[in-house]
Amino acid sequence: MNLLDIRNLSIELDTPSGRVFAVDRISLSIKESEVRGLVGESGSGKSLLAQAIMGVLQPKWHVHADRFHWRGIDLLRLTIAERKALLCRDIAMIFQEPMSCLDPTTLVGEQLSEAIDRTQLTGNFWQRKKQRKEAVIRLLHKVGIQKHSQCMKSYPHQLTEALCQRVMIAIALAGRPILLIADEPTAAMESTNQGQIFRLLANLNQFKNMSILLISHDLENLTNWTHNITVMYSGQFVEAGTTEQIFNHPMHPYTQALVGSSTKANLQVPTKSRLMTLPGSIPILQHLPIGCRLGPRCPRAQKTCVEVPDVSNFHGHKVSCHFPLIKEPRKKSSIKYKVDSGAN
Amino acid sequence: MLTFTLRRLSLFVFTMLVLTMLSFSLSFLFPGDTVINHSGQINASAEELAELNKSYHMDQSIISQYGAYLKHILNGDFGLSAVNQSSISHDILKLLPATIELSLVALLIAMLIGIPLGFVAAIYHNKIADSAILSLAMLGYSIPVFWLGLLAILFFSIGLGWLPSSGQISLLFEIKFVTGIQLIDILLSDSPYKWQAFRDASLHIILPACVIAVAPATIFIRLSRASMIDVLASSYIRAARAKGLNFRQIIFRHATRNALIQIIRHVGLQFANLVTIAMVTEVIFSWPGIGRWLIESIYQRDYSAIQSGLLVLSCFIFIIHILIDFIYAGLNPLARGNKYGS
Repeated sequence: MNLLDIRNLSIELDTPSGRVFAVDRISLSIKESEVRGLVGESGSGKSLLAQAIMGVLQPKWHVHADRFHWRGIDLLRLTIAERKALLCRDIAMIFQEPMSCLDPTTLVGEQLSEAIDRTQLTGNFWQRKKQRKEAVIRLLHKVGIQKHSQCMKSYPHQLTEALCQRVMIAIALAGRPILLIADEPTAAMESTNQGQIFRLLANLNQFKNMSILLISHDLENLTNWTHNITVMYSGQFVEAGTTEQIFNHPMHPYTQALVGSSTKANLQVPTKSRLMTLPGSIPILQHLPIGCRLGPRCPRAQKTCVEVPDVSNFHGHKVSCHFPLIKEPRKKSSIKYKVDSGAN
Repeated sequence: MLTFTLRRLSLFVFTMLVLTMLSFSLSFLFPGDTVINHSGQINASAEELAELNKSYHMDQSIISQYGAYLKHILNGDFGLSAVNQSSISHDILKLLPATIELSLVALLIAMLIGIPLGFVAAIYHNKIADSAILSLAMLGYSIPVFWLGLLAILFFSIGLGWLPSSGQISLLFEIKFVTGIQLIDILLSDSPYKWQAFRDASLHIILPACVIAVAPATIFIRLSRASMIDVLASSYIRAARAKGLNFRQIIFRHATRNALIQIIRHVGLQFANLVTIAMVTEVIFSWPGIGRWLIESIYQRDYSAIQSGLLVLSCFIFIIHILIDFIYAGLNPLARGNKYGS
């Protein structure tokens, strides 16, 4: 059964020139103990979607959905307070730039201990303080921080970025969530620290059976850690499928460009040659194209692309394009062949 | 923290040096003889004048003159008042505590009223409560203090008869001068009418302190509103919401402290403004403070009194600045480090 099932979720923003669909009818489903990647350029609405799921968007954003189920419970039928209580219990979220997401004037230990729910503590009120402290230490050990007393007594600015992210993960784990939403957890981090954080998340997924929604702009890095990937462009759904399908057999021109622009997938490209990119840049929110928002940049765009394409499903590989790339492109190998022959 | 303290102390020393230099140069700029402006002895005989010239090193270079002036000030000798030939340092010691008392009570009132109101406005941002508080602040800020003072006397003292209109305490009570701060002196005294005196002194301070507090309170409303809006939009508040804390926990545990930190810095800046308002208010309410004394000296062209009064008042304001810096550092862990020069 699906853990989280969202159909046609839209997020609108009030602007002086009327409402703008920042996120346009996205569908997303997450199964139990799945690591789902959510990929898109910056500004494609990934973070908005995550915050809308958590219900922590600013009041100027308006969210609508056709279906919003959490473990079979229809959240749209619940009141806002009930929904928030349910989601805060089962879903936790970690943000990009962990340093700015921790209160700069409160000790890390205090911030951790207030995340621990009262219901987890047994015993009387004079025992609770000690239990809380023990729980905090356990949490810090769980995320791989050995020097727990030093860490608890520091302020966020005294810790490194990676340690802060671990603390954020510890705070997220305090509620024993079933789903963890990680919004670019390694943005602006060194690659060694990135690896540590991703390994920690992978461990949590394997040993604690926790589902993870991993949000990133970096498709290449994400492929090592995810089972399934959803691709977004400019607030629209592009493609969803298993990591293997997305990375090796992309059906949407955008995904193909995304894969084509990464260096790892193009190791055979000769040195100093240009990587494949799409012309133009991501449209700004005030000037979104109608229909498929990739239209003006798409190499395969035709007249019908002024209408939003329906999602078509090819054996679990969903794609939203009028002209999907069904056949596997063989272009790359031919280029390589040509270059090789040219060199000889 | 030690480095922080040393930093502040050195800042204090150098600022005081510049201030004394300014007040030293005033003696040259004011009309009349320099040494008489320094000492205030207008009726000095020829021998006394020679004595004064010697003690202020008037025959030597200007740097040595400044040194002599500094020595006089450090010994607590501000000279004599040109008007009644009484010792200025004695006058200041008698009058300054009353001003300190009045301005600190006013600051307390301004903060206690302004900051919570600003927080409420920020929490109800863009709602009716917000606009009501903001327009109230605008109104309070626009009212000139001398008019407000007179209006308050007219309404509360004469019309309703609730509060006394002038003075620090009723003449019936005799309180021994210990610290000069009336409320503390009353508590220290062993008079049988201690609590009646305390009540009377509190009634006397309410009206002038409230009149002084109006303008700073409105500034605090705006400052705290702006900083609370900033804090509530910050990502750690969003993270705290995602953590499952309810609104009250977020406000009291995280938002208030972070917003207060930003306001505390401005309190020091507003204090100078507050003292200026207090000086005018002291005249209206005939409060026996240094502000009224200074304004009277200005009327009477009492140059040595003006000079030393300015020095003492600016010193007082600066000490408050430094104290507030310490409070800021105590509240804000980021300021305690010495990463940034200040």
